[in-house]
Amino acid sequence: MDRPKIPVDLILAKLAAEAEEAQYRLEKARDILMGPLETDIGTTPYELIYQEDRVRLKYYRPAAPRSKTPLLLTHALFNRETLLDLQPDRSVVQSLLKEGLEVYLVDWGEPTRRDQFLTLDDHINGYLDNIVDFIRRRHRTAKVNLMGVCMGGTFAVIYAALHPEKIKNLITTVAPTHFDTPKGLLHTWLKEIDVDRLVDTFGNLPGNLLNAAFLLLNPARLLLDKYIGFLENMDSKDFVENFIRIEKWIFDSPDVPGETLRQMVKDLYQQNLLVQSKMELGGCPVNLAKVTMPLLNIYGRYDHLVPPEACEVLSLRVGSKDTEDICLDSGHIGIYVSSRFQRELVPKIATWLLDRDG
Amino acid sequence: MAEEPSRVMASESLLAAWIKWTMDFWQAMAEMGPGLAGVSQTGGKDAAMGAADGDSWLSALKLWQAFFSLMTEPGTVTAVFKGIKAPSEIILKMAQAGWEGYFHLHQQWLEGWQGDGPQAAALHYENLDQDIFKICNEIYESDFSQLLNLPHLRLTCLSQEDVNQAMDKFNQFQAAMAEFIYLIYLPVKKSLRAMGGGQGNGGADERPSEEFKEYYKRWLKLLEGHYMILFQSREYTGTLSHALNALEDFFTAKQKLTNDAMTALGLPTLRDLDEVYREMYLLKKSVKEMAKKIDRSGLSPGEG
Repeated sequence: MDRPKIPVDLILAKLAAEAEEAQYRLEKARDILMGPLETDIGTTPYELIYQEDRVRLKYYRPAAPRSKTPLLLTHALFNRETLLDLQPDRSVVQSLLKEGLEVYLVDWGEPTRRDQFLTLDDHINGYLDNIVDFIRRRHRTAKVNLMGVCMGGTFAVIYAALHPEKIKNLITTVAPTHFDTPKGLLHTWLKEIDVDRLVDTFGNLPGNLLNAAFLLLNPARLLLDKYIGFLENMDSKDFVENFIRIEKWIFDSPDVPGETLRQMVKDLYQQNLLVQSKMELGGCPVNLAKVTMPLLNIYGRYDHLVPPEACEVLSLRVGSKDTEDICLDSGHIGIYVSSRFQRELVPKIATWLLDRDG
Repeated sequence: MAEEPSRVMASESLLAAWIKWTMDFWQAMAEMGPGLAGVSQTGGKDAAMGAADGDSWLSALKLWQAFFSLMTEPGTVTAVFKGIKAPSEIILKMAQAGWEGYFHLHQQWLEGWQGDGPQAAALHYENLDQDIFKICNEIYESDFSQLLNLPHLRLTCLSQEDVNQAMDKFNQFQAAMAEFIYLIYLPVKKSLRAMGGGQGNGGADERPSEEFKEYYKRWLKLLEGHYMILFQSREYTGTLSHALNALEDFFTAKQKLTNDAMTALGLPTLRDLDEVYREMYLLKKSVKEMAKKIDRSGLSPGEG
């Protein structure tokens, strides 16, 4: 037989040459892993100022407020809101505070079996609307700024279409609104899924099942390369701490209330009703033409979960004349955890809001 | 007490008949199924890949046959029934046959990894020959599943039927997961073969890179490409749906079993709790709506 196709000999030779360095790195990694590590997430101080059932509202006070209108951030039900405050030096919340914005963050909590009957209408016209009313009363203002993240952005668009009188400016980040695209794997898979069977069986969509689905979107990177990267860099304390923070966030998907999931999959992923303004919520039509407030639509060019095709149509379908699209050279999560986003995009968001604060 | 010669003879012929029937059955299966015989109906590159999978099957079959052809030899059967008086000879014969079959399988597995075996159709995931899973499933459903689904005479309070159902659904779930995991593993196999076969980037005469990291990066890129193609194929969505359905069936069967146990213990079942949750949800919703109406009328008394 000829020489083996996989260059085991080369790998071994390389390993031998690097053995000394590897030993030093392993010793350092051992000290780091066995020593104290700061891996807490969501550490920016906040006040818990509102709670309804499992849903809570966090308030972050800036040192020097510059904006008259408070900003409400809403995250997806599929993941935790702590993504926006993952690590101290790369926290979207902290960056917004530095820009002088008053920030409110929705924490959707931990749905249990008793939440399985909650519908999309309960989340958007119920919890979200009550939160918006609470902030309006607290600030004695008619309107708030609303920023939605991922599916939270889809919620924000639906809310803005149903209650345009309460929203001053709308920002969507990696928010899918056009679901009839083969580019996103999640879109392809959810088209085929029997969501009635799933919800009738489990009640809520189990978070573990959701985690597995997210990992399967890119197994080469998420199940292999990521951990090889960890092994290569585990002699760096900063790297290890940040890696563990992201791991904590990724594997902490809450269960998703069954009835909400049923409607999301059917109306959005399978029938693509939102972008056609054919969706209904609580008996009212969700008409995108009613989204007349300024819109800033941000998405990632390399997003495998919510591809640009799922986001960019929104600006063309809303009734607003003041729209802006920003396509970043980033993936889905990179937008929130990359230092570049903190440096460039958050000031851009702040400037965009302050320009429309009058 | 010595056994009667006639009874020994009867046992021997019975065992020989059963072994012959088993061998005939598997031989027929091998000849019948395209995946087993290694001849793909899809033709072309798939046929080559099907042949590779079929070879593995035939090896396993030969191993099986080797054991049983030894068992059907009159001397062996007699030895077995006499309390195995010639163990060393039988064990040696069986070990030799077994080792040959195992060695053949192992060699094929190595060839698969090294890329010396039949080349898989690169970047192609349509019309996969997964007959091994289909046939195993058919055998399970026709032979074993029926046993677990026999109607029960309810002489006792224990619900054996539900236990059997749960077992049946668990087995089906395991089979569906095996098929799904095999599909997930395929891109790894195909990309490694492609790298070994010089499809990594630099053509057939490509030498492996001196720099392992470079080699790894190219393989990873190739692997990602394979996964993207697999994930968009109908085969994948079909297998995923099948695995999910099997999981749901097993969950439902398990839940039924748990509900039975809870009922027997006089405790509320999950179904009972769900009914209470639904009532609570509806009640809470109507209270919230009323509170909102009162709140609105309080804010603007003129409207009330």
